[in-house]
Amino acid sequence: MISKTEFLRAWLGIGLQSFGGGAATLYLIRRTAVERHGWLSDSDFTRDWGICQIAPGINLFGMAILIGWRALGAAGVALALLGMLLPSVAITIGLTAAYATIKSQPLVQAALHGVVPATVGLGLLLGYSLLRPLLAASRKEGRASLLAAVALFAGSALAVSLAHISVLAALWGCGGLFALFSWWRARWPR
Amino acid sequence: MIDLLTLFWLLLKASLFSTTGSGNLPILHQDLLARGWATDRQFAEALAIGQVSPGPTGLWVISLGYLVGGLRGALLSLVAITLPPLAVLAVAGFYRRFGGHPAMQGFVRGLSLAVTGIFLVVLFGIMRGVGFEPRALLIALCALGLGATRRVPVIGVMALAALAGILLYS
Repeated sequence: MISKTEFLRAWLGIGLQSFGGGAATLYLIRRTAVERHGWLSDSDFTRDWGICQIAPGINLFGMAILIGWRALGAAGVALALLGMLLPSVAITIGLTAAYATIKSQPLVQAALHGVVPATVGLGLLLGYSLLRPLLAASRKEGRASLLAAVALFAGSALAVSLAHISVLAALWGCGGLFALFSWWRARWPR
Repeated sequence: MIDLLTLFWLLLKASLFSTTGSGNLPILHQDLLARGWATDRQFAEALAIGQVSPGPTGLWVISLGYLVGGLRGALLSLVAITLPPLAVLAVAGFYRRFGGHPAMQGFVRGLSLAVTGIFLVVLFGIMRGVGFEPRALLIALCALGLGATRRVPVIGVMALAALAGILLYS
């Protein structure tokens, strides 16, 4: 049984520490929920994140809701959202009020210049940890599945960046293609 | 004069018809500028604050709400972006019901692969914003290395990055 106090405290920690945008926050949630507390497994985390992509609104909210629901039901949803949002929303509002007075300071601009690439560095790490279980599952199924997985991974990136396909279309398209592939594999196993 | 109820509806609609924290940006931009309730500059400021403040980047909308409608605007934004994600429970329920089917498992795996691929594109875009120059690449690489050790908290990495930014760019 997960203690409610401990659960709230963990999410408050996420809300307080998650500087650096969405990638850093997801990274922090993964570290807290999977690695430290074991509320869900590595592959559950990747799958839940996939489900959040097709649900409306901010994906990290969906992630907090799913993890909260799995851990403690409705109370877990409320605690996870409260913990993640209370510090970050308060700081966001405070920063907005304060920003107006210091926005032209070159020191603030310089610090931002350092923070943005660091976000990218942590984001790459997160991307790797999301990709790893997907490729591992495909590798277990054989060479064709691994090839299909790599093709969709690279193809989606190229479709969005070079062909300017809408993100939603790329997500549903890749989902549909791999669904067909899996169905075909299950239907005619070798 | 800003009608708060309409503002709330516009915020809610934008969140409902997006699947990411910044997917609501084009919709809101169009709606608020057309009514003259927000300026391009306010959008840029709100997005920047969303980047530095903790939590999801999608909280930029709260900053925008504050700039546009004060504290009440910020709280309206908070409610408007918290309600739509609750639908994820229904989506997950659907997944639980049909999740055993190989096609459904394949769908989510294909979707997750695309998410990871597009994630790289987003990171590339963020990096292009500051320029692919040696100082920025060095900071990104150091953050990646520090993160990989799992010893340094994220806020520590960010504090070091801010310090590096001040030392290298000012």
